Amino acid sequence: MTEFIQATAFGLLIGGVYALFASGLTLIFGVMKVINIAHGALLILGAFLTFTLWEQLGLDPLAAIVVTTPLMFALGWAMYSTVVRPLRGAPLSSTVLLTFGLALVLEAVMGLVWGNQSRSARPSYFDQSFDIAGIVLPRAQVFACAVAILVLTLLYLFLARTWTGRAIRAASANTEGAALVGVNIAGVSALTFAVGVATVGAAGSMVSVLYPFLPGSHYIWIARVLSIIVLGGLGSLQGAAVGAVLLGLAEVYTQTYVSAAWATAVPYVLIFVVLFLRPQGLMGTRLREDVAL
Amino acid sequence: MSGVGSALDTLTESRTPWRVLIAVGALALVAYPLVSDDLFYQNMIILSLVFAIGAVGLNVIMGYGGYISLGQSAFIGLGAYTVGIATTKIGGDPFVWVPAAGVVAALVAALLGLIAMRTRGFAFVIITIAALFILQIVAINWDSLTNGTSGITPPLPRWDLDYQNWPFYYSLVALLAGSLALSWWIRRTKIGTGLLAIREDEDKAATIGVDTPVYKIIGFVASAVFLGMAGGIYGYYLGFIDPIGMFDIVISVQIILAVILGGRGTLWGPVLGAALIEPLNELSNQELGGGNSRLLIFGGLLALTILLLPKGIIPSVRELLERRLRRGKAALVGGRLGARRALNGRPGPEPVRAGRKLLEVKGLVKHFGGVRAVDGCSFAVEEGTISGLIGPNGSGKTTVFNLIGRTMRADAGEIWFDGERLAGPPWRRAYAGLGRTFQITRVFGEMTVLENVVAPLRSFSWGQLRAGAVSGDDAKRAEELLEFVGMGEYRDQPARALSFGQRKLIELAQVLMLDPKLILLDEPAGGINPTLIARMEEMIRELNQRGKTFLIVEHNMPLVLGLCDPVLVLAQGQCICSGTSAEIQRDPRVLDAYLGEDFSLEEPVGVR
Repeated sequence: MTEFIQATAFGLLIGGVYALFASGLTLIFGVMKVINIAHGALLILGAFLTFTLWEQLGLDPLAAIVVTTPLMFALGWAMYSTVVRPLRGAPLSSTVLLTFGLALVLEAVMGLVWGNQSRSARPSYFDQSFDIAGIVLPRAQVFACAVAILVLTLLYLFLARTWTGRAIRAASANTEGAALVGVNIAGVSALTFAVGVATVGAAGSMVSVLYPFLPGSHYIWIARVLSIIVLGGLGSLQGAAVGAVLLGLAEVYTQTYVSAAWATAVPYVLIFVVLFLRPQGLMGTRLREDVAL
Repeated sequence: MSGVGSALDTLTESRTPWRVLIAVGALALVAYPLVSDDLFYQNMIILSLVFAIGAVGLNVIMGYGGYISLGQSAFIGLGAYTVGIATTKIGGDPFVWVPAAGVVAALVAALLGLIAMRTRGFAFVIITIAALFILQIVAINWDSLTNGTSGITPPLPRWDLDYQNWPFYYSLVALLAGSLALSWWIRRTKIGTGLLAIREDEDKAATIGVDTPVYKIIGFVASAVFLGMAGGIYGYYLGFIDPIGMFDIVISVQIILAVILGGRGTLWGPVLGAALIEPLNELSNQELGGGNSRLLIFGGLLALTILLLPKGIIPSVRELLERRLRRGKAALVGGRLGARRALNGRPGPEPVRAGRKLLEVKGLVKHFGGVRAVDGCSFAVEEGTISGLIGPNGSGKTTVFNLIGRTMRADAGEIWFDGERLAGPPWRRAYAGLGRTFQITRVFGEMTVLENVVAPLRSFSWGQLRAGAVSGDDAKRAEELLEFVGMGEYRDQPARALSFGQRKLIELAQVLMLDPKLILLDEPAGGINPTLIARMEEMIRELNQRGKTFLIVEHNMPLVLGLCDPVLVLAQGQCICSGTSAEIQRDPRVLDAYLGEDFSLEEPVGVR
């Protein structure tokens, strides 16, 4: 029983970080209908930036989001204006291939800059943990999950309370409708893309402490993000959060009760099982399909 | 006609140099090892052949069918492991096991197709990526079978060293020839038109009788089978089969690049693309040290191709040539409406039994979030009638059509057609005798007018899939129907070039190809000129006399009231009344919901 509670606690903690990781992708899909396959590579980039800040300047990896987030925001804006914007209105498959190409380029650039060896940031609390009634909670995981929830809350408040956030939600619900009532779709798209990349940068800072990583690690993150999409449906932050927690739990349970080697297969198995049983996803948002008829 | 005809002739003539080029290329390919013993170039050609086989295969599902697979290298891995495992565990010459590699790849493709068949668009990409990585994980973890990360070493070739790599070389040449033959054959059969229809508009394809899952699975299996065999030979050739090298996503990217660069949907484009990709592969591996530079080159090239040359080389060149040939010649499209001819023979099938309900809708419900688009809608359409369905915008008319044709799934309610309850997918409804057109026309833009009209299928059979796409009775009947709607002259035009009104006529001919009992027309007179409206009315009457029943959604009141009897009125998702045109014009509920208090039909009913 202790083992089960322990595993559940681990799953929930990692699920929080996954939720932050998936939120950016969901946000971008909502407004632009683009599935950004480079999302995993951007996460690893965030992790490398954090690693360098920690190693060179001794900045705490979790505090590093103050630096990584604006950097990644700028990168997201630049990516949008140079390569994503020209493909507005192109079929989904084109943007999937485009962003996949970008993912490979990012992997190569990271390999050239940081080398292809495994890294991880190790702050002072790296090896410490909280012990609550026999349940061990590593400090790094607890802090990372707390920061992830904080960033997610800020993101939620931004979307719900600010004018810009409401414009993003409007564009997400109905792009043409939002344009009709005066939302500047081009500006909102650029902003959304940049915010999406910034949040994944923040998630990268957390990942730099939680997992050893190298440029090629982004493939497993592509798998994770795709399975979160399949589980939680696209375009809704709540769905993504639920999918993220489910994935976190499934991975940790497999690690605990089957083997660590097979835990890497969990995201893929979930994709197959969910798409086979419910092709529309577990909680896929049903959109009205006939507006164009 | 003559202008376009001669342009097409010139195009056909200009194919001869192409054929000579291809024949010379094929000869050079076959002769090369006989005249040169340079192993460096032999190796490059062998690797290009593997890429080419992969690209020609992928083109079937991606170029024809429009579904992208990022997992093609999984079939290389499956093939290599099949041959490697069978040779080391069972024995025999590795070449003996190559066909088995094809079978394994085909079976896995069929299985993935079964999982993916109910999904759309990006879910297929997700499944193919997932398949590639999960197979890699299995190959790493299933030590007893695959020897894990240490990999499998197949036996060394036993033939005389004088023959160099000939057995690898020529067996791959044969596989490439086979995959090209398969691609060529598929494009010319019903499978090909079905896949094109799916690529152009999958929902529409389903409504005209294309059993979409079957086509998608066949397309995916066809894309895998030769690549699986090539993978078997490739693993043997390399002499080392390991999870990282065999299930390599960069190889998937290279195969996709070959298809896009050369031109998706063309027969030879993928081969051209593969011939361009392999030298780059060699450059990045030998000169630049592989690894990061390989990722940089192919990732960058993929992104650049999508941005700058999305159509690929062959289609772009072809477009350029065609534009040059057509310069200065009057376009046929946009010309006057052609003459119309009545249908030959085949009068109405059986005398119509008056009062029999052909279609009955009971308590249909469809919600979109909080919007109740269709809210307990019930009505019946009697056989032999031209029934009208009117109602204000947003009253649920098109949604009712979508539910009847199963372009959408109802939340509740029953639909009975010809004595049976309709529950199956759209193509079964087409087989049962239900045809529909769309308010905003949905023709297959990249197909010719004639191909559009032969695409519909009245039934499903495995044998029929092999039939020529445009052949036999179907082709004859399609031409007859084109004459009937007055579009005979346009048969070889691409449908994307047609005007909106012309597309409506093509959609009608498409639906008639199904020989349906009931035809649902969604605003047949919407957005077209009065002459065409008159023609549309004339054709509807003629078809009705031949036994076709109609249900028509229309806002053109003179047309509806002159043509339709009875008229059904929909408001807020419910059928509020039905009756003759005279009755509904007086009905206070209809005046209130739709026509308005001051409605009066001043113009004479019917043709204006």
